[in-house]
Amino acid sequence: MERHLNHYNINRNKIDIGIDKEEVLRYLGYEGKKVDDITDLIIDECIGEILEISRTSFIYNTYEVNMERDVIFFKNTNFKIKGEDISNHLQNSKKCVIMAVTLGNEVDERIRYYSKVDLTRSLIFDACTTAAIEALCDWVERLIKKMSIKAGYKATTRYSPGYGDLSIEIQPKILRLLDTQKHIGLTVTDSFILLPKKSVTAFIGIGKDVKSESIDCRNCSLYKNCLFEKEGDSCGNSKPVKK
Amino acid sequence: MEIQNLLKNNFLLFDGAMGTMLQKRGLKGGQLPEGFNIHSPEIIYDIHRKYIEAGADIITANTFGANRFKLKDSPYSTDEIISEAIKIARKAAGDKLVALDIGSTGKMMKPFGTLGFDEAYDVFKEQVIAGKEAGADIILIETISDLYEARAAILAAKENSDLPIFCTMTFQENKRTLMATDSITMVQVLEGLGVDVLGVNCSLGPRQLRPLIDEILKIATIPVMIQPNAGLPILRNGETVYDLTPLEFAEEVKSMAQNGALVLGGCCGTDPVFIKTLKEALRTITPKKLDNRKLTCASSFKSTVIFGKEVKVIGEKINPTGKKKLKEALRNNNIDYIISQAIAQKETGSDILDINLGLPEIDEKEMMKRVIMELQSLIDLPLQIDSVNPDVIEAAARIYNGKAIINSVNGKTSSMEKIFPIVKKYGSLVIGLTLDEEGLPKTAKRRVEIASRIVEKAKSYGIPEENILIDCLVLTASAAQESVMETLKAIPMIKAKYNVKTVLGASNISFGLPNRKIINSTYLALALGCGLDAPITDSTSEILMDTIRAFKVIANQDRECKEYIDFYGQEPKRHKSQEQKIEKDLKQIVIDGIKEEAKLKTKELLETKNPMEVVDLYLIPALDFVGEKYEKQEIFLPQLIRSAETVKIAFEVVKEKILLNGDEKISKGRIILATVKGDVHDIGKNIVKILLENYGFDVIDLGRDVESEKIVSTAKAENIKLVGLSALMTTTLQSMEDTIKELKNNGILCSIMVGGAVLNKEYAKTIGADYYGKDARESVSIAKRVFDA
Repeated sequence: MERHLNHYNINRNKIDIGIDKEEVLRYLGYEGKKVDDITDLIIDECIGEILEISRTSFIYNTYEVNMERDVIFFKNTNFKIKGEDISNHLQNSKKCVIMAVTLGNEVDERIRYYSKVDLTRSLIFDACTTAAIEALCDWVERLIKKMSIKAGYKATTRYSPGYGDLSIEIQPKILRLLDTQKHIGLTVTDSFILLPKKSVTAFIGIGKDVKSESIDCRNCSLYKNCLFEKEGDSCGNSKPVKK
Repeated sequence: MEIQNLLKNNFLLFDGAMGTMLQKRGLKGGQLPEGFNIHSPEIIYDIHRKYIEAGADIITANTFGANRFKLKDSPYSTDEIISEAIKIARKAAGDKLVALDIGSTGKMMKPFGTLGFDEAYDVFKEQVIAGKEAGADIILIETISDLYEARAAILAAKENSDLPIFCTMTFQENKRTLMATDSITMVQVLEGLGVDVLGVNCSLGPRQLRPLIDEILKIATIPVMIQPNAGLPILRNGETVYDLTPLEFAEEVKSMAQNGALVLGGCCGTDPVFIKTLKEALRTITPKKLDNRKLTCASSFKSTVIFGKEVKVIGEKINPTGKKKLKEALRNNNIDYIISQAIAQKETGSDILDINLGLPEIDEKEMMKRVIMELQSLIDLPLQIDSVNPDVIEAAARIYNGKAIINSVNGKTSSMEKIFPIVKKYGSLVIGLTLDEEGLPKTAKRRVEIASRIVEKAKSYGIPEENILIDCLVLTASAAQESVMETLKAIPMIKAKYNVKTVLGASNISFGLPNRKIINSTYLALALGCGLDAPITDSTSEILMDTIRAFKVIANQDRECKEYIDFYGQEPKRHKSQEQKIEKDLKQIVIDGIKEEAKLKTKELLETKNPMEVVDLYLIPALDFVGEKYEKQEIFLPQLIRSAETVKIAFEVVKEKILLNGDEKISKGRIILATVKGDVHDIGKNIVKILLENYGFDVIDLGRDVESEKIVSTAKAENIKLVGLSALMTTTLQSMEDTIKELKNNGILCSIMVGGAVLNKEYAKTIGADYYGKDARESVSIAKRVFDA
């Protein structure tokens, strides 16, 4: 008998996510270059502060899915998504986890505060929170992977609105489905910006025979304007390609 | 009122969850629960009936998300849903009560989000009016995380109906809401706004909520309501269920009822069995009356200052009287300067900030609203709204997210008639000045008389003594020496008569005398000794704060002298940086980005060099040098910005000197910067701003999420030659394009530069921009080109 997947989870407790300093340096443009002492010190201070004040909240739910061509239907909901890239990504998935993750409003507040008293610090703080939200996403993704494997499945990497042809206009529907505002305080603006700003939503496919490698940069909607890709690097969500 | 009678001697039992019940009856994930009122009214009716049969005294109509935002993609209107929902509930309720249910709009409010206070108010107003017309008995505002949203909803309910208002907020295990409000702040603000019942619902089970509810029961002075979840969600056989049985739930809630909770019910995971079991459990107990004393508190949205236990400092510096730089900042819309003053006061020990922006040549009301919006999101200290104009006070009290202090009312009938209605409506504290039609009294006795008149009149408006702070008004020692002590004598007399607290603006005492500091600090010490609760003073003055810290030790307020030792234990270190000789020259200081040294070094240089020499020989060359290193990727953005901040500090000193010399300003031109409507990203814009300022341009920073009208009107009024617009999202480029069109349609003859991650040169051209700034340095070249032309 197939084991049940833990298909629903809300977390508002502190998780030790760890923030990768190399990652922070990369966001700030120091790729393998020497960082000056003052910047280095501020990064350490910001990381400490973020670990202290950020929330590490997430919610996810697992749905059985049916695919018809490039449309994915989520069973027992009125939710569906359409797109070649996401369909491709979720190929052979029997189930799909939808996750929403946020560091909470406290870090946004702090960035705002620093932008008034210490612009350098606000810039560095912002980069550190970006690394932190990525780390939290990775943490949740690993959790889902682990559970899937335990239950005898495989899981894909996470795929977020804004990648490929999956528009960010899907955000309000995801948020409504998971009731994120009530559970973790996550909202979206009319321009489809998630608030608190350091937040992510994503899909993870689960099945016996799913693809589990990273997506290709060329599939990303930011391909033309990506800051990392210009340097032959990647944001970490995808595999870099040589132009 | 019927509800008040009901609450006198009885528990009031609400129903349990609607969502949980609807899921069992076929509600799909992501589906609109309120749609059931229209397409399956029989299901809603049946659920209500089951709760009534279980013993609920009030049922909650299925209107939680019936606001215009959540209904946007549905075929229904707010009116339609609410009138149907109330109709069904009414039919099911029989002689029981029906609550109009109002939940969050689902949007985040400004300044963190994009929903303005007035818009939120309108959304709630629509729901309130629909509910009232459909015949709801009470208004239940629930599952709210953002105190600001609760304020908007409560005001909408109060101003558009006479129905009783119940309001519950949702907390996390850290005893704060998701937007960081704590329990005492919630209690202060909601009681102030005049809700009938306040409390807590959802998010956790009764066991997890207990510490929070205990806290609330110790401070609330109105009935308290609780609607916990049926425990915590767990997974059982692949199903999510809550971990408490109806009996366990009922026992937990019952014991909270024994502690004083009066209105009870359930949230997620509860059903009619839970309510029935709870009803049974309540049969054996009687309600406990809360007998908490009212406190005198001022609150921001996340922290509360309690008067009376220890001296609290009200920072007086944001007041243009006699302050040249603040006046200049107000005239130039320079909010950043006001923010810096606020932060300086917070960091030196102010507990509350007085905000007075009265300057004849500016629009005080608009400026007050802007400053309050900025400060309340940046600084968690409560604010004191200080104006002689009741209109300004009302506008500020309305949008203030907390419990403000209103400064001030006095003993004149006309003043009290204007100010007290505002104080009552927004639940603020108010400062009562002991003067009246006959002017400033000479004796303590007369002060007490006036204070008494103020307190009694306030009570006739329903304002309790505890919401009043009396200022006994100081006369200057040089002019009225014989009456100086009268002020101090009045303090204990008034406090003995009423449960009010006292404030005192203590700096006027020394006016016209030399060595004012010593007079001020001595007088302050005497006043504190007389029982003064909160001096309105300058916390950036060391001697005054020294006096206060010393007093707190002597008066046993600073227990174990902790604060005192923390502050003075390391005294030698504190002044070290000022004594050190700075070896580096200013150019090197900028290049290395040593912000702490810039001020002193610039001052030193200005002793021998004129201001323009400092700019041209040191600052600009250093900036150019840093810029080149940045281009060559020898240094990176954090270092570039740190150097820019260092230059900014040096520039401030230079500007001050120029102001002092009375020379002409060194502005190379004035530029508007804004992040366009809909976009809330502003780091890029802030970087552009500081670099432009470094090169001598004056920037009017309109902030983020800025309406095109605001940009157009500012450009027009200020005769602007260059506007810089920023957008980070593909979804907000449209709004950038619209703003450019608006500028052109209104005949504003300015150049427009744009920037942001998703833009490029070609796209900038297509949307009608004159320039594309790929980064902040580029924007400086653009500005130079525009203004040199």
